[in-house]
Amino acid sequence: MGGGSRRSKKRMRGEMEDYYEEEEEEDDGTGQEFVPGAAKRDAEEGDVNEAPEDEYGAKDYRSQMALKPDHESRPIWIAPNGHIFLEAFSPVYKHAHDFLIAIAEPVCRPEHIHEYKLTAYSLYAAVSVGLQTEDIIEYLTRLSKTAIPGGIIEFIRLCTVSYGKVKLVLKQNKYFVESSHPDVLQKLLKDPVIQQCRLRRSDDDNALEESSIKKTSGAAALNSAFSAGGADPSRSGNPSDDPTAGNEGGNDAAVPTDITDFYSKIDAEEDDEEEQKVVSFEVNQEKIEVIQKRCIQLEYPLLAEYDFRNDTRNPDINIDLKPSAILRPYQEKSLRKMFGNGRARSGVIVLPCGAGKSLTGVTACCTVRKRAIVLCNSGVSVEQWKQQFKLWSTADDAIICRFTSDAKDKPMGCSILVTTYSMITHTQKRSWEAEQTMKWLQEQEWGIMLLDEVHSIPAKMFRKVLTMVQAHCKLGLTATLVREDDKIADLNFLIGPKLYEANWLELSKNGFIAKVQCAEVWCPMSPEFYGSYLNMKISKKLLLCVMNPNKFRACQFLIRYHERRSDKIIVFSDNVFALKHYAHKLGKPFIYGPTSQQERLQIIQNFKFNPKINTVFVSKVADTSFDLPEANVLIQISSHGGSRRQEAQRLGRILRAKKGAVAEEYNAFFYTLVSEDTLEMSYSRKRQRFLVNQGYSYKVVTKMAGMEQEDLHYKSKEEQMALLQQVLAASDADADEERLPGEGPARAGGSGGSFGRRYGALSSLSGADDAVYREYKKSSSNPYGKHPLFKKFRTK
Amino acid sequence: MGILQHFAECKSLVDYLKTLSNHVVDDLFGYPAACLAIFRELPKLAQNYVLRILYVEQAIPQAVISTWVSKAHVKEHSEAAEAISTLRVWKEVTMQGGLAGWMLDHKFRHNLKVALLGGGKQWTKSTNLDQDSKPRTVKDLDLYALERWEAMLHFLTEKQQKSDTVSKDTIMTLTHAGLMEQDENNAPSITNEGFQFLLLDTASQVWYFIVKYLETVEQRGLSTAECLAFLFSLSFATLGRDYGTEGFEDNMQQFMQHLREFGLIYQRTRKAGRFYPTRLALNLASRNNKISLDTEKHKTGFIVVETNYRLYAYTDSDLQLALVGMFTDFLFRFPNLVVGVITRDSIRQALRSGISAEQIISFLKMHAHYEMIKTAHINNPLPPTVVDQIRLWEMERNRLTFTDSVLYNQFLSHRDYEVVRDYAQETGVLLHGSDQKRTIVVKGSGHDDVKRFWKRHSKNSS
Repeated sequence: MGGGSRRSKKRMRGEMEDYYEEEEEEDDGTGQEFVPGAAKRDAEEGDVNEAPEDEYGAKDYRSQMALKPDHESRPIWIAPNGHIFLEAFSPVYKHAHDFLIAIAEPVCRPEHIHEYKLTAYSLYAAVSVGLQTEDIIEYLTRLSKTAIPGGIIEFIRLCTVSYGKVKLVLKQNKYFVESSHPDVLQKLLKDPVIQQCRLRRSDDDNALEESSIKKTSGAAALNSAFSAGGADPSRSGNPSDDPTAGNEGGNDAAVPTDITDFYSKIDAEEDDEEEQKVVSFEVNQEKIEVIQKRCIQLEYPLLAEYDFRNDTRNPDINIDLKPSAILRPYQEKSLRKMFGNGRARSGVIVLPCGAGKSLTGVTACCTVRKRAIVLCNSGVSVEQWKQQFKLWSTADDAIICRFTSDAKDKPMGCSILVTTYSMITHTQKRSWEAEQTMKWLQEQEWGIMLLDEVHSIPAKMFRKVLTMVQAHCKLGLTATLVREDDKIADLNFLIGPKLYEANWLELSKNGFIAKVQCAEVWCPMSPEFYGSYLNMKISKKLLLCVMNPNKFRACQFLIRYHERRSDKIIVFSDNVFALKHYAHKLGKPFIYGPTSQQERLQIIQNFKFNPKINTVFVSKVADTSFDLPEANVLIQISSHGGSRRQEAQRLGRILRAKKGAVAEEYNAFFYTLVSEDTLEMSYSRKRQRFLVNQGYSYKVVTKMAGMEQEDLHYKSKEEQMALLQQVLAASDADADEERLPGEGPARAGGSGGSFGRRYGALSSLSGADDAVYREYKKSSSNPYGKHPLFKKFRTK
Repeated sequence: MGILQHFAECKSLVDYLKTLSNHVVDDLFGYPAACLAIFRELPKLAQNYVLRILYVEQAIPQAVISTWVSKAHVKEHSEAAEAISTLRVWKEVTMQGGLAGWMLDHKFRHNLKVALLGGGKQWTKSTNLDQDSKPRTVKDLDLYALERWEAMLHFLTEKQQKSDTVSKDTIMTLTHAGLMEQDENNAPSITNEGFQFLLLDTASQVWYFIVKYLETVEQRGLSTAECLAFLFSLSFATLGRDYGTEGFEDNMQQFMQHLREFGLIYQRTRKAGRFYPTRLALNLASRNNKISLDTEKHKTGFIVVETNYRLYAYTDSDLQLALVGMFTDFLFRFPNLVVGVITRDSIRQALRSGISAEQIISFLKMHAHYEMIKTAHINNPLPPTVVDQIRLWEMERNRLTFTDSVLYNQFLSHRDYEVVRDYAQETGVLLHGSDQKRTIVVKGSGHDDVKRFWKRHSKNSS
């Protein structure tokens, strides 16, 4: 254990802030080679020495840009540091928004004015969906209220000049490097490494193959999927026909014609069938990895495209969308980006939880109609994906297989395989059967790989999955493209660019997701608790915050209040000690890591259908892909430090639009209980940043009306003191958050790793602690690899 | 003292009149318009009393008046009587037989009759005024008033004052009101109060400014009462009508020139012989039913506040920027837009300089952008979370309560410490006691008692 443990100890003592913010990620530096140099450029750099500061300390751009005379009818400002501000109330908002989402990262999108930022990644994504450098500049110029700063134009040129020019295409089971720019290809071929990768059929075959391909529109590709499924494509509509666009007609007069003209031109280009001359050379199949890496070094990253309709080697699978499956406008729009030129691009689609990610994924599979593999991050979501496939498509049990340690399916030879990340990356010994399946799985050429909740998976795990499983096209699905460690950028080059990101506020306005009232409830610490709080070390402090009797009372009050309204309530607690205590005290069922798969399903079934079970307590196992569509109230009593992602994911649990609840202003409630004057306050502020930037607003509640009249627990001082004694007596291990398999130290590998950030109490190490005993016992039936504690015993 | 307190002192006409000295009030009662204006400010019941005894030329026993209302409304009665007394409209007198009675002020009685029934002399000689060759419309007047008023506000915020925009008299009033002060270069510069002043709405600004101005008129050789009476007369005037200047004394002509500079009245030239009152003057005495200036130039809505605490100001005006900048951190500046963010620090900065959360919120509300008003719920264009948060930031400053107290320490033995602590606890003056450090904190009020006890105790034990 040497180095590893020393380091982890250091980290343990390090600032709590880091401890709670960072997601565990060991980066060995290999990630860097997947990222081309140009991607590291930042528009902010160019700006530092240029912009003078005005008397208020703001960056003064007035001298760098001249206001256009008709500025009032144009919607955006572009700052020389790449920030773009868009008026959401402008008549051309619709066009501008579609365009900006393609070329820039949304920073915040509240109600009136949105902020975007041009980054190297976003521009990479823009060119990879087919936008041209000059088009981007031209359209930006037309949209802008002012002249565009020269630095920005330069930045766009710099970032887009080499991107998106070269594609790696699989045609008739041969890999080709293809480009419509012969000069670029010539340049690449001069490189000795690439020369080696080139596959020559004969010795004198030096000329580039020239061919003209007929570009079919993305719409056509998508529509074929629809018509095959019996659905009428016109019903799902053209993206520009969606409801929000409806009000445009009347305002057209105010819009400068050049904006609309140009937009339709770009639109048309994307959809038109046209003949295009391309040049290509064939690549040796074994050298694919090498050439990909080399191209990134040369700053010409290869865009992987899959011409699935001309792929004859891999058999088609018999799967279509059911006629009942109707895509919502934004779902279709995101898929159009993916199948933009009749081929399948790899990339990430960002949709809020509950907005129908699964349907998007299923439709993608039905469009490609090749062997598909779906990766998700828990056994429960494996079940849910299987259900989704059966719900939306014609697939049945015969062609969908689950590959988990629980499932008894025989995955060999199936068409759609649903499994978990940890199943694939599992390093310990497997059963013979699983071993065979893995072997088979690795030998396959998968048509499409769906990656659910991509943001939650560490890059290292990804790379492992991607090297083990060969897929022609990868589609990542996620709700929140944020990571506390900002490693999200790696995804761009591991999977592909972000293809689409939906606007939360707009979706909830249009009723696709629930309207949520977010509230932060401030619970004053009782004096006794606060006294102990001040004298405790950090892990105990957090436990004291959670166990604050006033918080308990607030929680109980909220549960009662909402149960009376016959709402369905989920209560989240990251802290297992608190989770159990709350649940026992209130007599509610709870789910946490060691709860068996069977028990979980039973509780969920009861929660769904039993009118007597309206509240369920869950630990963070339920953070992601834990579908509880009935729930509309969420109470969070403890959380993972300042993690924005967790906050967004938890909100997602109640986002699924409820039927028949439109009359009210809000139809879902999200409460965070915070102990006043404690660490929780600042964590809570950090956690909210992402959602606040999506336009959500948190209402601070300092006092709840009617709480005095209720008969709640911990009313008397004696009870509170007894609770305090109980908390103080709790072992340090109890005070800690729950660790999930495949997360935290257990994943870090190495013998020292599993000691990680636990505050090792002797009692828990020796097994005297009953919690440990139980976990040990259950871990044999735990389907998701070994529990970290179990590992600890092994490595000893 | 913040401007809020200043302002509270003379918030309404009644409050202001209370602050005036007796002889000014006495002079004021010499003008019918002033009497009518004061009468209007009285509570309804008090108006009734005044009218009932208007023609009774002698003192009325208080007991009689109190029988005019039923027992159930004693409270209203005493309020009404109090209001009349504080405005010095009636005086308490002792009647024959030692009865306490009330007697209407003689001058007030006379001039109120004049105001109500007519008679007396006209306040201007406008009847024989011929038609103005270039009549002003209401819109013109509003524009003019606003332009003048903003010129003064601009002057307040300008870094390098160019004193050609405003006169010495204005500067003098501004300094007197504490809105500006002389800096080291002997040039006037804005004070914290000045910034708070800018956050007020226009009607309040005018009222406050005029009140402060009236405090200085005596120094200029004008009579406060006369000026006040003229302002009252103005407030009864009709918007868009012209009045003649003929017949006014020189000192009043001077006063009118000041009002002209502030934008309360419009005169084409000094010698034009006629003037138009503007809305600013009309609103002065009747602040309850404010009429807002409606001009296209006056873009009220330029601020967009988002739920993520972003603030966008559509403006290039230095005045507006300076105002918004008081509680906002600016990030970027574009030719017609400023991007800023409201943070805890920026709000606290503003609170420290004496601006209240309420002022900030009402300022934001007042200048909310059209788009915000359009989409908002009734009467509240601002995101409720931001409003709440600004209030919470203010409240968190008030979480500490201060108690005068005395610290006892360096007890020689734990026994001594315990005795004193127990005594303080019994008498209920103990605030804090620490066993480890042997320190006791008692309330200031209990200090003498505890000290005496301690002396007694140490004497006994020694």
